[in-house]
Amino acid sequence: MIFTLRTFHKILGALAVTAAFSATAITTANAAAPVAQIQAALAKPALMCGRFDQTKQLTGIKKPLLSNGRFCVASGKGILWQTLQPFPSTLRITRNAIVQMQNGRVAMRLDAQQEPVVKMINNVLFSLLAGDLSQLDKLFELDGTIKNGNWHVALKAREPGLAKAIGDIQLDGGAYVNKVTMQEASGDHTDIVFSGIQTGDKAMTPEEGAMFD
Amino acid sequence: MTERADSDASSPIAPVPAKPKVLRGLALAWLLIVALLLSHNAYLWLVQRVSPDTDILALLPSSRHDDVMQQAFAHMVDSAQQKVVVLVGERDWDKAMQAASAYEAVIGKQPSLLQPMAGDAAQLQGAWLSTFNQSRLMLLTQEQRDKLHKDSPQQWSQLALSAMYGAFGGPKLGAWQDDPFGLFSGWVQARAQETPVRPRDGRLFVESGGRSYVLLLLNLQQSAFSISAQEHVIPLLDRATQAAKQSAPDVEIITAGVILHAAAGSRQASSEMTTIGAGSLIGIVLLMWLTFRSLKPIALIALSIAIGCLGALSVSWLLFGRLHLLTLVFGASLVGIAQDYAIYFLCARLGTDRHMDSRQLLRRLLPGLGLMLLAAVIGYLGMALTPFPGLRQMAVFSVLGLLFAWLTVILWFPALIHADSLRSTGLADRYSHSIGKWPQFRFNRIGVVLLAVFAVFVVAGLMRLKVSDDIRALQKTPQHLIDDQIKLGKLLDTPTPAQFYLVRGDSAEIVLQREEQLKRHLQTAIDKKLISGVQAISNWVPSRQQQQADHDLVADKLLAPQGALAAIATAIDENEQWQQDLRQRLLAQSKPLLPDAFIASPAGQPWRHLWLGKTGGQSATQYASIVAVRGLSDYRQLQVLADVAPGISGVQWVDKVADISSVLSYYRQYMTWALLAAYATIFMLLSLRYRRAAWRAIAPPLLATLATLALFGVIGQPLQLFHVLACLLLLGLGVDYGIFLQEPTKRHRRFAWLTVGLSAISALLSFGLLALSSSPPLHAFGLTMLIGMALVWLTSPCFAGSKPPTYDTN
Repeated sequence: MIFTLRTFHKILGALAVTAAFSATAITTANAAAPVAQIQAALAKPALMCGRFDQTKQLTGIKKPLLSNGRFCVASGKGILWQTLQPFPSTLRITRNAIVQMQNGRVAMRLDAQQEPVVKMINNVLFSLLAGDLSQLDKLFELDGTIKNGNWHVALKAREPGLAKAIGDIQLDGGAYVNKVTMQEASGDHTDIVFSGIQTGDKAMTPEEGAMFD
Repeated sequence: MTERADSDASSPIAPVPAKPKVLRGLALAWLLIVALLLSHNAYLWLVQRVSPDTDILALLPSSRHDDVMQQAFAHMVDSAQQKVVVLVGERDWDKAMQAASAYEAVIGKQPSLLQPMAGDAAQLQGAWLSTFNQSRLMLLTQEQRDKLHKDSPQQWSQLALSAMYGAFGGPKLGAWQDDPFGLFSGWVQARAQETPVRPRDGRLFVESGGRSYVLLLLNLQQSAFSISAQEHVIPLLDRATQAAKQSAPDVEIITAGVILHAAAGSRQASSEMTTIGAGSLIGIVLLMWLTFRSLKPIALIALSIAIGCLGALSVSWLLFGRLHLLTLVFGASLVGIAQDYAIYFLCARLGTDRHMDSRQLLRRLLPGLGLMLLAAVIGYLGMALTPFPGLRQMAVFSVLGLLFAWLTVILWFPALIHADSLRSTGLADRYSHSIGKWPQFRFNRIGVVLLAVFAVFVVAGLMRLKVSDDIRALQKTPQHLIDDQIKLGKLLDTPTPAQFYLVRGDSAEIVLQREEQLKRHLQTAIDKKLISGVQAISNWVPSRQQQQADHDLVADKLLAPQGALAAIATAIDENEQWQQDLRQRLLAQSKPLLPDAFIASPAGQPWRHLWLGKTGGQSATQYASIVAVRGLSDYRQLQVLADVAPGISGVQWVDKVADISSVLSYYRQYMTWALLAAYATIFMLLSLRYRRAAWRAIAPPLLATLATLALFGVIGQPLQLFHVLACLLLLGLGVDYGIFLQEPTKRHRRFAWLTVGLSAISALLSFGLLALSSSPPLHAFGLTMLIGMALVWLTSPCFAGSKPPTYDTN
């Protein structure tokens, strides 16, 4: 489910861009029935960590860009996304800020005070992690199927501006999200596969825990 | 009880035969003119349905400053005038949205009044971005510039690579290959920082203090100053607020818009005009009834004033093409002086032997009546000569009104009033006899001591008199509107419309360069948090010079053969050709962005108010723009911002509030001199007729004015323009009383005193009651009149002279 990291930062960009004009009102549709079932199928741990493998195919570049690392999601605290290969880089999302660290220095920082959307991203992210797809339902049209506890959801942004910026998103999973696929209108394509998910207090290393403090 | 045997031994002056035919002809001609006035008024109010201006700014001179500055201000004001901004806030975002929908549902039923600003978001966003797409390489934020100067190409390539590989590389717009270093996305992100408003769930959203607000932007379909629009829009907004509160009880609704202020102003003015106007009318009718026990005199006085007002309205409208509400309020009061002419004639008739024909009486009264009109016209001359449109309108309106009323008295009254039309009452008699018991001022010991005591009081009072010309003191807006406005300004981080920089230059490029220079100077103020930032076109469209410099910087640091792009190619195993292609692709986005193109595009729409473009006549082409200040935290620090402007050529600080206040101050001073000049001129005029007794006519208004001003000094009421205006009226009325009492009515001095009493009480009723108004200018005016008029009335017999004047009319 960490797919949202990149996606939501793109949403952030798109949202910021659309800030200058008004948008048409959208009636909130009821979540489709399978979505409710998917929501029920999702585990909702307070803390979970695991490995991710990401494949990016960017238009204009021959080879796919491969990277992997660790991620942690602590409800009420935030999200940690540590890329380990091909080079280290850490992203931390908390209620009040989004910070990217590289080589021990801050490469990028967005404060909620400065950028109001940070809080929104945060809220949506956490509602997602809690398995609350109804929150996502406001931003996306959800179309899901579920079979033997394995499910698939296609998300399409309700707001056309947003849709244009982030393209189509597909989620696959069971108790947790296993795979995220993003296809953008520009041709850029991203796959993220999650594995080795651990939950409970011991899932996070003390170093990782310290990064939240 | 009537008393008509109060006759003097000396018989009336031998009547000079009047020419009844000529008089009748003139009276008929006047009837024709009055009929014309009546039909013109009917046409104006019933057919054309004109409504007076209520905008206080319309009272200010239009040409006191240069045209570009006026244009700039109008530009700022107009852009706000037709908008109504509503914030619907709730702790819970869903409830806020619900309430907003309920609000909109009510508004949506009246599309002819208010229309929500909306557009096709997808189309808008596409168009929005395409404005900048061709110029991506020309646009950098200051932070990016600094980083490009400071950091090595290696650092840039690492950053770009981590963005490529990582889950997140900052906000991103479009395909990677169009913005590999995230520069354009960063620039757009920085632009978005200019407003805290964000789209959320298809709505505009702002957050503050734990509340989430839905922002609704409504476009007013009619003029904010149209009274009928106000009468419909305000209840509609109230109903919408009710609906929103019904759907979410804890919702907070903040509304702002020029129309709310305009409506509050006109509502106040019209309700006061009704209550104060009705009060003074009833008082005057009662007064006349007690004096004459007949409705005829009342009808006649009303007739002369009504014709005065009708004539003033018609001709002023023809002259100016429009009238301000304040002109009507003041002007109609000033025309009230005209009652003096009618009362004078009536009282004189009452006190004159019944054998004398009314036409002969008129001949005798004519010099005095002429003098009264002349003195009033002189009093208003100073007002009419100012370039202050409000004052000019009022003066012209009043002079016309007086003239029309005067002519009515002269041409009609002799025919309408005969010796037996009037009877005096006991009350009037008792009052009129009281003049005999009035103390007389003499230059003896007591008189001199009194004068000295008075002089000490006046000097002490005047020394403590403060002045205030703050425009904010002139417009009393309901507190909740001000609170809403302040709250909204904070939530939306909007710039103040009354203070800004005006930037000028011979070309658009020079204007933009000067804006950039100004912004560099303002950085200190931003760092000190005096302001949160500026709105300027150059934020979006840098000068060509800056665009070229940014382009060169990117090309040099990132795209050069040994730059960051080359390092990326190596890292992802791409060849020289790939580098070439990508470089070409990026360099193609180097079309300079121009202000006119930006302003014309959807992206430029919200910033249109900042760009004046080409200004001035055809001969002198000048370009101008506005740099607006956001988040001004402390208005006492305005001087700091003002001090920045002189350092940069072509840049001017505009502070409309201070500006208007200084105009008011200028006119207060101007009017004070006009008042002194009027005293001097009228004194000379009176000297021609009364010789050495002229001081007796001018002393009552002069002393009353001095005493009133000294009193204001003692009670700490600061002097402003409208006090001075009232002093002018005090002079006009007070001199009339002097003239009444000095005119040689011989036997009937006590009827002159009756005239003064009737006139003074009606003036107190019609002007003094304005002291009850909650509009600060009217209150100031009314209070001055109340105190001053009472003093003029009570002191005027003291200066009438110990024995009846012996001046002869022949």
